[in-house]
Amino acid sequence: MADASDERTEPALEEVFYPVDRIPFVEWGAFTGGKSTVLLVGAVTILSFLTGLSNLSQSMPAMDGPLSVFLSLPAGVVQFGGVLFAFVLSAVTVGLQQRKVVAFRAALVLLPALAMLPLTTLQTTDIPLLLGITVTYPLLLRNRAQFDQSVDFSPLQIASLSAIGGVGLYGTVGAYALRSEFTGDPLTWSDAVYFVIVTIATVGYGDFAPTTARARWFALSIILFGTGAFTVAIGALVGPVIESRMATAFGIMTASELTLLEDHVVVLGYGGMTDSLLEELDDETEPIVVTDDADAAAMLDDAGLNVLTGDPTDEAVLSDARIGSARGVVVGSDDDAQDVLAILAARSRNPDVRIVAAATEAKHVTKFETVGADEVVNPRSIGGTLLGRSVLDGSAPDTNLSDLDTSGEPRK
Amino acid sequence: MPTSNGSGIEAIVAKLLVPVAAASGAIVFVGFFFRDFVGEAVTGQGWVAISLLFFGSGLGYLAVLPYRIDDDDDPSRGYLLRVRRTNLTATLREFAGNQDPLTMGVPATVFAAFLLLQAAFPTRTSAVVGDVADTVLLVGGPLFLAAILLAVCYCAFLLLGPWGDIKLGDPETEPAYTYPTYFTLVFTAGIAAGLVFWGPAEALFHYRTPPPYFGAQPGSAAAAGDALVYTLFHWGVSAWSAYAVIGVPIAYFVYCRGAPLRVATLLTPFLGVDGLDSVWGRLVDTLAVFATIGGIATSVALVSQQFLAGVAFKWDVAVGTAGPLVFVGGLTLIFVLSGATGIHRGIRRIAGVNIVLFGLFALLLVALGPRQYVAEQGVSALGRYAVHFVPLSLHTGGQWVADSTIWNWSWWFSWAPFAGLFVAALSRGRRVRTVVFTTVVATSAATVVWFLLLGGTTLFVQQRGEADVLGAIAARGGSEAVAGFPLLAALPLSELLVFLFLALIVVFITTSADTSTLVVAILATKRGLAPTTGSIVFWGVFQGTVAVAVLLVGGAETLQALAVLTGGPFAVISLIGIAGLTRSWLQEERGHTSLVVRAFRRLPTVQTHHDIDPPKED
Repeated sequence: MADASDERTEPALEEVFYPVDRIPFVEWGAFTGGKSTVLLVGAVTILSFLTGLSNLSQSMPAMDGPLSVFLSLPAGVVQFGGVLFAFVLSAVTVGLQQRKVVAFRAALVLLPALAMLPLTTLQTTDIPLLLGITVTYPLLLRNRAQFDQSVDFSPLQIASLSAIGGVGLYGTVGAYALRSEFTGDPLTWSDAVYFVIVTIATVGYGDFAPTTARARWFALSIILFGTGAFTVAIGALVGPVIESRMATAFGIMTASELTLLEDHVVVLGYGGMTDSLLEELDDETEPIVVTDDADAAAMLDDAGLNVLTGDPTDEAVLSDARIGSARGVVVGSDDDAQDVLAILAARSRNPDVRIVAAATEAKHVTKFETVGADEVVNPRSIGGTLLGRSVLDGSAPDTNLSDLDTSGEPRK
Repeated sequence: MPTSNGSGIEAIVAKLLVPVAAASGAIVFVGFFFRDFVGEAVTGQGWVAISLLFFGSGLGYLAVLPYRIDDDDDPSRGYLLRVRRTNLTATLREFAGNQDPLTMGVPATVFAAFLLLQAAFPTRTSAVVGDVADTVLLVGGPLFLAAILLAVCYCAFLLLGPWGDIKLGDPETEPAYTYPTYFTLVFTAGIAAGLVFWGPAEALFHYRTPPPYFGAQPGSAAAAGDALVYTLFHWGVSAWSAYAVIGVPIAYFVYCRGAPLRVATLLTPFLGVDGLDSVWGRLVDTLAVFATIGGIATSVALVSQQFLAGVAFKWDVAVGTAGPLVFVGGLTLIFVLSGATGIHRGIRRIAGVNIVLFGLFALLLVALGPRQYVAEQGVSALGRYAVHFVPLSLHTGGQWVADSTIWNWSWWFSWAPFAGLFVAALSRGRRVRTVVFTTVVATSAATVVWFLLLGGTTLFVQQRGEADVLGAIAARGGSEAVAGFPLLAALPLSELLVFLFLALIVVFITTSADTSTLVVAILATKRGLAPTTGSIVFWGVFQGTVAVAVLLVGGAETLQALAVLTGGPFAVISLIGIAGLTRSWLQEERGHTSLVVRAFRRLPTVQTHHDIDPPKED
């Protein structure tokens, strides 16, 4: 009696209440990764800007927070702090998106510093910012290992940046030393900084101007060296960005785009099966194709897929494809000899990654396994088996897929 | 699956909701951060409407998001093609063919008849129903008290006794819902916005009119303590036990005997699995549908009125007669979306939002409220709750108890078929002990903390004279809807708290209504068939329509009284269910060990070690 009703009830119950195997409260994995952290820092940046602007719009900032008892921040800091923090944080967010260590460290310091503002004022408008920081900070710490890229400056960039720093220091100290030889004398330290920045940026308000010959020579030196260094620095910093834009236009992923990849699937080589493979993968994860076939690369890039033009047997290229943080590797070109080399290279770069390979010739299957493939599929034998079953059972080939032993893990 | 054939509409709805949510959200944010500049440009009424639009469209969008971001091919295009090809009559015929005529027809007829009567003879209908309700609650009082006390005792026995080990399903079945999900779904479905409204009001009402059991002077310090104890009694373990005693038997017979998932499954030991299609079984299911729709629809209608009454009190805005109708319409849209997208999408996500907001509000209240007073009063109230639990449960003290306690028990019993069925549906692979622990202990712990926090804070504010909450309630004709607002106004960050409070009301009623929609759709669909998206939408809209109708015709309270009266039969059914379950388990589930026995077995070994070891060392 139980059997009869079982058959009828189970599907209904399953469909409504057990549509998937496991229903977690929140898919933590999807919300706690590096990408979410970057997004949250971005959200904190925007909230900081809005809160700061909101504070700025009030004539007198209220200070009702618990921190105002211990620490009396000047009204100016409270009023302008939020917006200024937002500008710095937006640079930090960009850095975090490129997984820079420096940006991570800056965020570690900046977020608690930023939290002091809402804790001082504690208006209703401050609560979202405070909540945002309390959620973001643990996530940032949790994902610290992901922010591992050091900032690589070219010699020119280093030179121009240190030149700006040097000129700034020289100008400030010098202007202070000559403080009585300027209009509006004597200059204070903050006046000196103000004078140097206004001069280097070629704004030159003229509210502080040199009055003696010696001070004029000094001002000229700042203009020459400072403005020069400023211009060179802009060129050195902006130039590479434009270069990388142009590189993307030609179907090659740039280094910064590559650093965003995590938990992706690396496809080594382009062959007859690659298109259907990518179709299957694209729903589930982010594949990146490594191929030295320029035509195939251009075509895949047109289709909006990630392509890295390079030799799939070259270990340096595989490192660029971030094989270290990949979820899996598929080796499936039409050339078995190249595939063996690709498996070897992939295995040596990441000993733990799951490597699935397709052997064009059935006799190469064991060789692929010997060199380190976890799972080897021979498409021709699968096709043959399916055709055979289909003609005998009269069923569609797809329905036979689940119990094929040669295909490893076919479908969920 | 119930969601797949609606995915085209879902994609279209999502596309509509995104701009609505984004636009209203932008306005809300601007208003929130730059109130000084733009506050005057939009009226108070406008702000409430825009905030609600933002919150509602956000929740709706959350519901229609796909479960995993994998089916990214645009289904809306295919849907539009299908719309052109689909024949309307064929769709309707398929829908009607899937419905159980009795469970669908009888409640619909009863509601229509009630509304007609109410429209034709409003006063007489209300008076008759009111008299019947008063009589039933007064005469049937002992029955309700006994049923609830028995339910508590039975739950305690299941929790500690040997039967707690029984696994619902095959030995190797794993629970599909992780524990946080399980708790969240059970808690948010089982309790509606009443929790939010009565949080500040209930203790205060007992403070104004002290329960005769304690007999303190109205408004005295002693009355404050007594009020908290009685509040805990009304919302604590007794109330939640009603769900467990309906849910556990259903779950057992569904997962261990292959019975269908319906309320009549409670009667399996007497009717057998095949006998559930008999008149008795279908009568129980029909009654469950009636109780659920009556309970939820009237809650939706009353909550809408209360919500807008509160808003009108707080910001002094008039909402007019159209206000509640629009509100109910929006609410219906959200809970239909949530119910139709399925348990793993809309229902789970909105329940998640609900529990997070609930926790956030409670935390803020701890941070901003009178912590010391609440802690002191809370500990003493908890202690006295434990001491007086049995006497309170047996106390049949006349009209006061009939009006509050018995009404309350009947109300919980009238919700028990839907909440119990839902608990049963989620419990596959769990042990009976876990089910009882979650449904009774964990959930009541959450409500107890909530009522101590809100009730304690309200009493503090009222006693110290920081706000005259009772005066505000009296000024509004004794409506509990306004109690929260003067209270929150007396606390720091009051505006944030008020908005959270309003959001909680919306989200709590949504999480109950979407679940009830799903449950009613299951009950009204022919046995063994999964409800189609169309039928879920139909029942959701039906509940919304009943709510709108009682708002238009009047008599929401009368219909609620009718729905609450169904608690009587379900109290009896719960007793039958307990008896049947006990009989089956006595026959078939032997060999489990109780927690108490296990603890005892462990004790002597620990002690003998202590006794024996030291002499050896000497």
